[in-house]
Amino acid sequence: MTFAERMLRIDRRIIFLLIGLCTLLPLLYPVGLAIKVSPEVRSVYDKIESLPAGSVFLLSMDFDPASKPELYPQAIALLHHAFRKNLRVIAMTLWLPGTGMAAEVISQVADGMGKVSGRDYVFLGWSPGGSSVVINMGQDLYKAFPSEYFRHEPTKDLAVLKGVRNLRDVSYVVSLAAGTTGIETWYVFGKDKYKFELGGGCTGVIAPGLYPLLRSGQINGLIGGLRGAAEYEVLTGLKGQALAGMDAQSATHFAIIVLVILCNTFFLFIQRSRKQADQR
Amino acid sequence: MNFLRRQLPLLITFAMGVVFACQYYVPHPVSELLLTTVTKWLQIIGGFALVLGITSLFHLHAGKIRRKEPGWGYSGVLYASMVGTILVGLGYSFSFQQWILGKETIDGVRTMFGWIYTFMMVPLQGTMFAILAFFIASAAYRSFRARSREAAVLLVAAVIVMLGRVPLGEYLVPISGDATQWIMNVLNASVRRAILIGISLGAIALSIKIIFGIERAYLGGGRE
Repeated sequence: MTFAERMLRIDRRIIFLLIGLCTLLPLLYPVGLAIKVSPEVRSVYDKIESLPAGSVFLLSMDFDPASKPELYPQAIALLHHAFRKNLRVIAMTLWLPGTGMAAEVISQVADGMGKVSGRDYVFLGWSPGGSSVVINMGQDLYKAFPSEYFRHEPTKDLAVLKGVRNLRDVSYVVSLAAGTTGIETWYVFGKDKYKFELGGGCTGVIAPGLYPLLRSGQINGLIGGLRGAAEYEVLTGLKGQALAGMDAQSATHFAIIVLVILCNTFFLFIQRSRKQADQR
Repeated sequence: MNFLRRQLPLLITFAMGVVFACQYYVPHPVSELLLTTVTKWLQIIGGFALVLGITSLFHLHAGKIRRKEPGWGYSGVLYASMVGTILVGLGYSFSFQQWILGKETIDGVRTMFGWIYTFMMVPLQGTMFAILAFFIASAAYRSFRARSREAAVLLVAAVIVMLGRVPLGEYLVPISGDATQWIMNVLNASVRRAILIGISLGAIALSIKIIFGIERAYLGGGRE
């Protein structure tokens, strides 16, 4: 067996170790390289920035714990920005397993910024139905969610929802999605009929699939993956988990690129050797 | 019996399909009220579907345990976890002196249900997803090879996007960021749009077939 063949059959545990080190070392010794903000992330930021104080901002955290590393920092950055702008925040989720995480993120950020549940923000929790929840909210928000999540107070009596009857009264909706039900659901069943502005945040895996919606203006902006979260943190001046994780992502991406180049070099070398042997 | 099993569902599907296809274009208050009511029904049916799903899962794994099928121990773990979580999540807490009813926290204090969610479900799901990074790296090394011209194009595009999506890549190859934006916005978006249009046309065709009773697979394969 030649050296190239041996290298192509390398023990996978060596690759696992390399990826582990590439993740761990930058987290322990961060470099903090500059991050360029993309136009799609800036659009979401600019939209929130343009809203006057008291406008209604709805954040739908449509993800489960598996996507926490990418979408949780996005939720923190968006909530931080919305509260700083004194927007009235409605938070909810269309994913049942994400309810606890969504409740945790909204209460943590709100507590940190001195915001009060029922007055400055409301967490509606989860309701079954997916797309029908969106339609129901578009028709009558109080029927879709008769009470809020934390103290089960009737939503009709909450100061934060004064003047808000349905989705037509919401200034801006952002769905942080890890798949379906998510951004497409909010567009197809919500924005198209109830005419609110819609933005999106998503995991890196599903981001490429959402670019047609972005290019056609069906969503005004898109925060994609940990990179998108880091860009939003740069814009808001928040030093959060996403910025801390970007060095690790840089290192792992590079490790994978190097591995791919190496494997192709060995592969081409073997191919050439075989061709030469055949000619002989 | 055949009427209840076949004709009636077909009739309901046809009526509801036609009514709600038209409803979208009729902004009259009665039409809007109809939509509000029916979407509320859907939410309620969604709740029942959840109960049905859990019951079905219990049933499936009970059978596996009873027959001692290979891997029945995992079904036992699933059973214990599900029953335990349901009891803790819905039961009475003596420390809080109240029923938990699915609350993760009560007055800022984490319940046992919240503890299971935060310290078991969240890290377990996170771990499952994180393992992917290791397998992707290993799989990329083993199989991401330029065996053909098409594979080579894919390889080059992947390397550019991987470079352009991280700060180190943009630092070392400054053009990679703009190149990634172009690949995502032009090449990727146009192909995805074509796929989306195809899927949508297929969905419309299937909907029409279901509404008019041509496609009947949803009725199940029971005896006539």
